[in-house]
This record gives sequence, C-alpha cells and structure tokens, in this order.
Amino acid sequence: MFYVFRSIKVAFLCAGLATPLAAQILDDLPVPAGEVVLTISGAISITNNEDTAVFDLAMLQAMPVTTFVTTTVWTDGPQEFSGLELADLAAALGIEEGTLRATAINDYAVDIPVSDAVEGGPILAYSQNGAIMSVRDKGPLWIVYPYDSNAAYKSEVVYSQSIWQLDRIEVLK
Amino acid sequence: MRRLDLRNAFGRRAVPILAGVLLVAALIIGILGQSVVSDLRLLGAARSDNVQWSLSQTEVEFLELGPVIDQIVEEPAPNPVLLRDLRVKFDVFYSRISTIRKGSLYENLRANPYAASALADLQVFLDDSVPLIDGSDAELHAAAPELIARYDEARPRVRDLSVSGLRVFAVASDERREQVAATLIQLATVTAILLGVLALLALYFIGLSATSERQRRDLEEASSRMRTVIDTALDAVIVADADGRITQFNSAAEVIFGYDAKDAIGEFVGELIVPAHHQAGHAAGMKRMRTSGEKRVVGHGRVQLEARRANGEVFPVELAIQSADTASGEIFIAFLRDISHRVKAEAELVMARDRALAGEKAKAGFLAVMSHEIRTPLNGIMGNLSLLRETRLDERQARFLEDMDLSSRLLLHHVNDVLDISRLDAGKMAIEKVPVNFSSLVQDIVDTQRGAAEAAGNRLELSWLGPPLAWVSTDPVRIGQVLLNLIGNAIKFTDNGRISLECEVLFTRGEEAMTEVRVIDTGIGIPEDDIERIFEDFETRDVSYSRKSGGTGLGLGIARRIVTALGGEMGAESNPGEGSLFWVRFPLVTTQKPNEQFAIRLGVEAPATSVTPRDVLVVEDNPINRAVAREMLQSDGHRVTEAVDGAEGVRLAASHPFDLILMDISMPRMDGRQATAAIRSGLGASRDAPIVVLTANVLPEDVEGFLADGMTDALAKPLDRVALRRILGRTESPRARTLVQSPRSAVGQILDLDQFASAQDSLGQAGIELLLPRFLDEGEELVDWLLGSLAVPTIEQEVRFAIAERAHNSAGSAATFGAAALREALVSLERAAKAEHALDAHIGAIGPIWKATETALRAKLDR
Repeated sequence: MFYVFRSIKVAFLCAGLATPLAAQILDDLPVPAGEVVLTISGAISITNNEDTAVFDLAMLQAMPVTTFVTTTVWTDGPQEFSGLELADLAAALGIEEGTLRATAINDYAVDIPVSDAVEGGPILAYSQNGAIMSVRDKGPLWIVYPYDSNAAYKSEVVYSQSIWQLDRIEVLK
Repeated sequence: MRRLDLRNAFGRRAVPILAGVLLVAALIIGILGQSVVSDLRLLGAARSDNVQWSLSQTEVEFLELGPVIDQIVEEPAPNPVLLRDLRVKFDVFYSRISTIRKGSLYENLRANPYAASALADLQVFLDDSVPLIDGSDAELHAAAPELIARYDEARPRVRDLSVSGLRVFAVASDERREQVAATLIQLATVTAILLGVLALLALYFIGLSATSERQRRDLEEASSRMRTVIDTALDAVIVADADGRITQFNSAAEVIFGYDAKDAIGEFVGELIVPAHHQAGHAAGMKRMRTSGEKRVVGHGRVQLEARRANGEVFPVELAIQSADTASGEIFIAFLRDISHRVKAEAELVMARDRALAGEKAKAGFLAVMSHEIRTPLNGIMGNLSLLRETRLDERQARFLEDMDLSSRLLLHHVNDVLDISRLDAGKMAIEKVPVNFSSLVQDIVDTQRGAAEAAGNRLELSWLGPPLAWVSTDPVRIGQVLLNLIGNAIKFTDNGRISLECEVLFTRGEEAMTEVRVIDTGIGIPEDDIERIFEDFETRDVSYSRKSGGTGLGLGIARRIVTALGGEMGAESNPGEGSLFWVRFPLVTTQKPNEQFAIRLGVEAPATSVTPRDVLVVEDNPINRAVAREMLQSDGHRVTEAVDGAEGVRLAASHPFDLILMDISMPRMDGRQATAAIRSGLGASRDAPIVVLTANVLPEDVEGFLADGMTDALAKPLDRVALRRILGRTESPRARTLVQSPRSAVGQILDLDQFASAQDSLGQAGIELLLPRFLDEGEELVDWLLGSLAVPTIEQEVRFAIAERAHNSAGSAATFGAAALREALVSLERAAKAEHALDAHIGAIGPIWKATETALRAKLDR
C-alpha cells in the first residue's frame, strides 16, 4: 500500500510539471542526435525519418516524465520506474485511436489498444530505480503498467502487453 | 392459544437462526465462489503457459546464439554486423535468465533443485561470457571458438531448465486442478446445505402460513360467536373508544335506549345516554382517566347509575365497564342492565318493610301505653285495697275485699304477661347471668308451690336422676318463671294426683351442662292434636274449664320464649286421662360458688311483713301521688320527708342521711334522673342512700337507663303497698333490680268512681276536702291558660314545653281523682305538645271535658 500512495504522489507531481508540454501535438519532431531507441511507424502524421518517427533516449527524456513505484512479476521487490507515459506519447503524435503493435528486439510483438494509453496507465519506461535500462535489464524501453495501483493491471493480458526490450511501434488504424 | 404462543415463540427464535444460517451459507458460497473464480482464472489465464512460454523462449533465445557464434567463427575477420547481432542476442538471453532468476513468477521453478542448479550453471555461463561479449570486436571475434565450447557446455543445462520447468508447472497445474475440484466440491456441499436450509425455511413458512390461516379462521369464528353473543345479550352492550365515541351498540341497547345502532355509532356516550345532571361528572371522569389513568368505575364490578333513553326518560341501570387494549388504542366495553323494574320492586319492598316495622313499633308502643293505662287504675284499686285491709271490716266486707284483691292481682298478672310477651318478642328481655345454685333454686321453687299443690290434693315431689347440678351462671328469675308456670299448670289440671319434677344433666360439653327438667303430672292430660297448640299465644287448654286462678293463655308462650332466649327448648307429651309430661332443656354454664353477698333472690318473695322503721324521702311533684306514698309509708311506721321537685330533693338529701329515697322521674326544674346523678356525685349525707325510681315507663330499656344513672331499683307507678314493702325489704340488701310492678285504672269515663273511691280511701275525707278543691282550682287555671295560649297564631317552643309540663302534672292529679276522660285528654295534649303537632284540637277538646269533670267532682265535694 505504501508504494501505491507514493506512486500516486509522484504521478501527480510529474503530471503537474508535464502538463504544458503534453497539452499539444508536437509541431516539429527533431532528428535524433544519438542512437535511435524507438521507431514509430504506421498511421502517424508527424515524422522525422521518411514516414517514421524515430527517437533517441534524450528526445524521450525531454518529453513529460512519469515516475511510479510498483512490483512486477518479473522482478524482485518494489521497483521505481520512470519514463514517458504512453498516453503522452500518443497525444504528442496525435494518435487517438487504433492499436499500437509493439515489437521487441527479439521480434516478440504484442498489440496494445490506444485506449489503454490513459493517464495513470502504462508508461514507456527507460529508467529503473534511477538507472537507464540496458538490454540485459530489459532495456532500452519497457512498457510498464502501475500493477500495484490498479488491480485490473494484474491480468495475463496486461502482463503479455508489458513488453520489454521494445524498439519499434507500428500504429495500426 | 397456548400452543399458538409456543409456536410463535419458536418462530421468533427460529427466524433469526435460519436467517443467520442463510447468511453464513451465502458468505461461504461467496468466498468459495470467489475462490473458484480465481482458481478458474488461474487455470484459464496462461500464467503457467506464459511461464512455460518464457522457458521455451529461453531455449529459443539460447539456440539463436549458436548459429551466430558459428558464423563468427567462420568469418576470417571480425564482422561488426554479426558481432552486434551476437551481442544483442546474448543480452536478450541474459535478460531472460535474469528475469527467471528474479521474477516472482518463477518462484516455484526456482524452488525445484534441478531448475535452480541449471539456472546457477547458466548464470555462471553468462557471467563468464560477459567479459568476452563486452570486449572489443577483435577480442570477441578471437574468443568465438571459446564461446562455442562454453555454449555447447551450457546447452544441456538450458534443456534441463526448460524440462524441469515443464515438470514443475505440470505438477503445479495438477495441484491447482485438484484444488479447484476440492473447492467445487466444497461449493457444492455448501450449496446443498443452503438449499436444505432454504427448504426448511420454506417448510417453516408454509407451517406458519397454515397456522396463521387457522388462527384467522378461529378469530373469525370467535368474533362471529362474540357478535352473536353480544347481539343476543339481554343486557345492553356498548363499546366505546378512549374518547368515549361509540363503536358498537347491540340490539338490546337499541331496545333499552331507543336508538338505532347506526345512529348511535360514532356518537359520544356522554351525550347520548348520560342524563343531563350526570354529564359533568361523566366528563370529569373521562378527563381524569385520560390524564391520570385513574379508573373509578372501569373494572370495579357492577355499579348502579342512571341513564337516559332517546325519549329523555331517566332510568336506573346496573353498569359494569371493562377496558381492553386493542391495536387502535384502549376501548371500553359497557354492559348495562335496565333495572327500573327491580328498583321499583325494591322500593315497594322497602316501603312494605317500613310499614311492617312501623306496625311493629306501633304495636310495641300500644303495649307499653296499654300497660301504663291499665296499671294506673289498677294501682288505685290495689293501693286502696291494701289500705282498706287495714281498716275494720266485717266478715262479708272482708270476703269482698279478698275477691277484689284476687281479681286485681289476676289482672296485674295478665298485664305483666302481655308485657313479657312484648319484651321477649322485641328481644328486650334482659337475661341475667348470676351465680345460682341450681338444685337449691329448684328446691325453693318446689317448696313455694307445695302449699298450692296440697290445696288441690296433690303430692309434689322433686328428684334428680344422677348427681344434682349445683352452681351455674344463669338468670334465676326467668328459670323460676318457667318452672313456676309448668308447676302451676300441673297443679291447675291435676286433682288429687301426683306432680313430680325430675331433673337430669343430659350431657356436659366443656363447662356447659345440658340440663333437663321434666314436670310430670297425673292430671287430665292433653289430646295429641292440642300438644303443639298449647304453646301458642292466647291458647288455653279448655275454655270451659273452671279456672281457679285464671289464665291469659300466654303462660306457656312466655315460658317457651324464655327458654329459647336461654338457648334451650321445651316440649310436652301427654296421654289424655293419664297425665302430661312437660320438659324443658337448656344449657347451663357451671361456675364456682360465689361470695355470700350474692345471695340468691327468688322470683317469688314473701311480703315483707316486718320492716324496721325507715327515714324515707319522697321526691314527687304531683301532690296527690305524694300524699298516697306518704300515707302508705306512714301507715307502715316509716318517717316521711317530702320534696316537690328534684332540686328540693337534692337539697334535702344533702342535709339529711335518708335510709331510702323514692324519686319521681318527670318533674319541673330538675327531673329525677338529674337529681339522682346530683345526689350520687355530690358529697351530701344521702349520697349512698338507695334511690328507687318511681316510674310509669316500665319498659326494661328505660329501667336499665335509670340503673345506669345510679338508681338502686325501680318501682312501677302507681304505687302498690306490697311492691313498696318489697322494695323496702329489698333495699336493705344492696343488689336487687327487678321492677316491681303494680296495676292502674280504666279509662274513658268522666269520673271513674272506683278510682275516686280509692283516692277517698287513701286520703281520707279530710284529704279529699283539702286536695280536691286545689285540684279544681288548678284545673280551672290550666284550662283558662291553655285557651289563652291559642290566641297566639304560632305557639313557641317554650310555651309548648310549658303546656306539656302542666298537662303532665295535671294528668297525674286527674288520674288520682278518677277523672279518666280529663286525664286522657291531658295525656294526648302532652304528647301533641312534645311532638309539635297542632294543639288547637286537643286544647279545644279539653274545655267541655273539663266542664263535665268539674261538675262531677264538685258534686262529690258538695255531698
């Protein structure tokens, strides 16, 4: 329970900071300077690399940060995750409906409905317990739900959607 | 009803119990259901599948490493693309193993020793390989053969991990299935129990419904019966609510009160049937009940009240009200009975009783008056006969005198008999309780009668069967009266025979000795048919029988009354021609021999022939009566002092110690009772002297009053020489209380010549010449004064008293001189004055009577 409260508190704090940035669709997506960690393709209007939107870690970190603490079935003990809320990402890219087909480095792929991307919902975590996640630690990106704060997130479907070592998202109409 | 209550009580307890059971069952089912759902979710959701997928993925990801490393080995120079691919694949595998080692999902797996061992080996492989992987491209390229070797070494361990994982999760799956099965069985069981409880509840409610249906039917029947009872009741039944508004009005009520039920219902009881003069009380009662709950009529049984009919008639009712608590508040049920007929009948009965009582009272009054009226002239006769006997008489005159004496005594006896009857019937005969030696008493009685018996040629005998009874507590005078009557009768009806008294104690109970005295004669006997009749009043055995001493026919009646008063009974047996047996049976309480001073005085006393000379004070306002008393006393050698009223009597008694005081009752200034009280309570010389009251009021209760005032004895007026002598003899011994009675004269005539002669004899010619003119002057003055008093329209109280007093006084004088009609007129005037009746007629009547009397008496005086 303690973690739940803490998670909510942090979420509010971050939401407060993030609001001005998240309020509108990005007009212009800069070209990533560092190594690309995420490629978003499919039905998107905002792109920076042909018909895809690519992000390096710095670009993601520049976007609103959401932090919460939760336990997961794949880790031992409570973990603090920080990252970009999926809802903020969808908003930034003007994605309002459809499905996000998330694919991992090892080509594991899951479909996440855009409707799942809600405030207080899943984040695109790039930091665990304050450290940037390597591939060995399920990095560079891991879709993490706040499992402890919402019992609905303790389902097999959500578990299967909690894809780690994520590097691609295709937006399907 | 009791069974019903029990059932209800059970129901009241059972429903919460069953409800509790239901709740618990529902809770258990809920918990089990949730458990089942969660189990099903576990089963359905591919938690373990997911894990197994992860495990197989481990193997897949491991196997993907092999070809890459092989390709690197075949490359002559480091190929960055291949190397990068290797690094990514290695990291993915590393991440996989790391997840399995840390994730909570894989706890069960890690608990398996084979899996744990395989994991540890794989971690070693990873840890050993990391420096190579993280090295430069050249180093990694050079280390490829070594990696191949390590990879081949680790390969079976990956396999072991995945296989042991499969086993672990298969077992876990089986366990979960069993668990779900067990939960399902539990669920089924609890559901069955729940169904059972529901079935029981259903049965219970069916039962309850049947019971309540039965109760409803019972109630309906009872209420219908009740309606019938109420409607057919003879009493009016009115039901009202707490406000007094009528809710039920039965048919009897309709008949009694004259309202239709439909009109009466809804009206207020108070306004409908309570009479106007009771409405305030009714309203107050209702208010009191509402405010304090106090009920004065409700629940207090039957009360008698008045009610009002529709036509306004007020009639008596008997009312009973009960209250009952109902769902709609307190109600009152009133039962009213029209008792106007009964009340009328009761009133008639009371009136009849009052008339009867008045008749009885009149009879008693008549008897008392009669005794007075007869005794007064009889006194004259007997007193003068006594005086006459003292004079010189020739033999013929002496014989006449004896006959007259006998006749007058007989007359006195009859009068006394009648008085006795009236006293006994009124329950006014005082029965004394004094110590008496019973055997001596009987002996004395027999002795006094022996002479009479022998005169008729009879032998009189006394015998005891068993030991004689000595001291008892009883009334010797009454017992003597009874035995004398029986012996007297026996003597009367037996000639030359034998009369025997047999006494016997039949049995004793405690101190009570049931005593029987039998008087047996050998006389003419009584026919069987007459045996009962002879005890009746005014019955004589044989009217044609020559009565030697006469009889009123009251003797046996009196005897039987006395015996009854003593608590005994009496009867007779007889064989005509052979004789009779009269028996008396009464209880006597045995007692100790008393002190000598309570010597027994028999009812029969010998005349006191020689009495020592006494100093006697005569207190009497009537000069003629005073003169008679003086003459009688002086002729017996006593010294006489006279006082004309109570006050003078008290004064004289204080200054001189008299041996005896004769005290009249009715006197001016101070009456006899007041004077007696004054003498007794004062310190005068005669304070302890015997005081004998002279009275014409001979009813026993009066005598008792006199004795209570301190008088020693009572002497009936008019005076009789024998009675006077007896009193003089008796007053020597302090206790004696029997009224000595004497006769008086007839009424109606203007001048009773006998009585006048008696006065002449008593007073002597000189006395007459002195007193008669005084009486005539007195009478003249009285009549004038009386007529004068009529001049005033209303006669005042004081005047009435004066009239009564003077009439009384003159009546005494008139009686002495034989002015019978005048006396009668004066006595009724006295009564009327005292009773505050109209006096005009009485006074008017006196005038002519006075004229006639005056003429007659003056003729006597002039002659």
